[in-house]
Amino acid sequence: MKKGQAKLSWMSKLGLLIIFGIFLFWWLFPVYWMVSSSLKVEVEMFTIPPRWLFKPSLGNYKNLFATLGFSSYVINSIIASLSSTAIALLLGSLAGYGLARGKIPRKNDIAFWMISTRMAPIVGVILPLYLIFRKLHLVGTLQGLIIAYTTFNLPFAVWLMRGFFMEIPRDMEEAAMVDGCSKFQAFLYVALPLAKPGLVAMGVLCFMFAWNDYAFAVIFTSGKTQTLPVACARLMTEYGIVWGQVMTTGTVLVAPVLFLGVVIRKYLVRGLTMGAIK
Amino acid sequence: MRKRVNTEFWMILPALVVLAAITVFPFIYTVRLSFMHYPMIQIRSPEFAGLENWIRMFQDPKVRFYWWVTLKYVVGALSCEMILGILIALLLNKIRALEDFFTTLTISPMFFAPVLVGLLGRFLLHDSYGVYAYFLHQVGLFKGGSIFGQGTSALLALIGLDIWEWTPLVIIIVLAGLKALPSEPFEAASIDGATGWNKLWYLTLPMLKPVIFVALIIRTMDVMRYFAKIFITTRGGPADATKIVSIAVYDQAFQAYRMGYAATLTLSMLVVTIILGILFVRFFFGQGE
Repeated sequence: MKKGQAKLSWMSKLGLLIIFGIFLFWWLFPVYWMVSSSLKVEVEMFTIPPRWLFKPSLGNYKNLFATLGFSSYVINSIIASLSSTAIALLLGSLAGYGLARGKIPRKNDIAFWMISTRMAPIVGVILPLYLIFRKLHLVGTLQGLIIAYTTFNLPFAVWLMRGFFMEIPRDMEEAAMVDGCSKFQAFLYVALPLAKPGLVAMGVLCFMFAWNDYAFAVIFTSGKTQTLPVACARLMTEYGIVWGQVMTTGTVLVAPVLFLGVVIRKYLVRGLTMGAIK
Repeated sequence: MRKRVNTEFWMILPALVVLAAITVFPFIYTVRLSFMHYPMIQIRSPEFAGLENWIRMFQDPKVRFYWWVTLKYVVGALSCEMILGILIALLLNKIRALEDFFTTLTISPMFFAPVLVGLLGRFLLHDSYGVYAYFLHQVGLFKGGSIFGQGTSALLALIGLDIWEWTPLVIIIVLAGLKALPSEPFEAASIDGATGWNKLWYLTLPMLKPVIFVALIIRTMDVMRYFAKIFITTRGGPADATKIVSIAVYDQAFQAYRMGYAATLTLSMLVVTIILGILFVRFFFGQGE
């Protein structure tokens, strides 16, 4: 066995599986509960002790999209998340490459400074941006929100893309430049395609950070520009919480990022530790 | 040679300019704000306050209390996440065949929006129809009343939500560390007759230290930074029992409209973050390479 581990007996394997089973149950139960609640009719949701068998109904989904107009919030979320991701990837891969390859004085200090901006407390970013945006009439607009999301996605993209480019051997770009490519062409046609898996994974993470955000969106959007998490939280009213709709919105909110996240899971550790662990 | 430098400089420039505009300028703005009285609704115009906000912050016993709550929240969540995460990762590492399957399933909580985790928590722990609350009642762990309505249980519930959401991250970080361990020391130890526990205690864990440290710092910073979960469940209550510093800043800025004081509190948070950030960078990326 690898790493000098003793081979596990059949019994201890079963024991381990039971332990994992318990933890998996703990992790997945809320997911199941959310999705199943979204498919229940109101009466069945609040039955205690819980009823495990029920007739699924799409009533909540119909209600959410047809009556409450949640599709516009979904679109807002998509616009805000995709735009900030696009900005982060575009500027981030350029700067990441420059910092990885360039002969620029104090380039490591520049890189460290950039990533340090990502670690700032969220309220600390929101507070001054809010006052500045108020003067620029950006509060309540998606443009403002996109700029706000760029404050955390751009440093993230620069830092991780720099790491990806540093891992690519220089030889191929140098060969391309010998063949007459400019430095920029070498980046565009040689280095960037090689870094594509990393680029895609970072794109997913940037999208996820923006998509899941509530703290920025609740301050920077209002009414028609609110994003899905904000709309979800707004389902808490003075008269109570419309749980069926909350669970339905939650399912819509989680489904895409969960799918994308599982697809790029090989890059998760690297992305979420800001490249400290590969 | 000169041309190469230029290309890369121009590649960095856009990101540099954008970041300066959206982070450096707001930072300077915040520092300026901390020396001002700046009511958000401008009935009075902003006025210079000197060191008043700063003095107030250091004298305010409530601020000390908010830091105390933050500490309890961070230590409570982190200790459980680290212990649980390391244990599960060590176990998962034993069953290599199922590792990918299990990690794929366990990572799902990380993709939940914090606000949704809070809402789910409220739903599952609701005093009259929450499944978890019902279960806790049956087991006899929690008697009567609302879980989010009482200080201690509210803080514990929030810590529980954080553990649920982020232990998977610790697991996958530690797993990545385990995979990267060299096999030679373990083979040598086996030849010398070391038992499994000995190897775990004297080899695996010490060698994992840097990885565990990364997880610890990243999680500490994030537990302090993210506040949506608390915002949506207790909003810092009852009676400030769950008011971490982030929530306090939010309240000062957007509830009490004291932007100047909020800026001061923010900067004190920033100091703590910077210390953690420096530790992180120094330990894991080295300086200057």
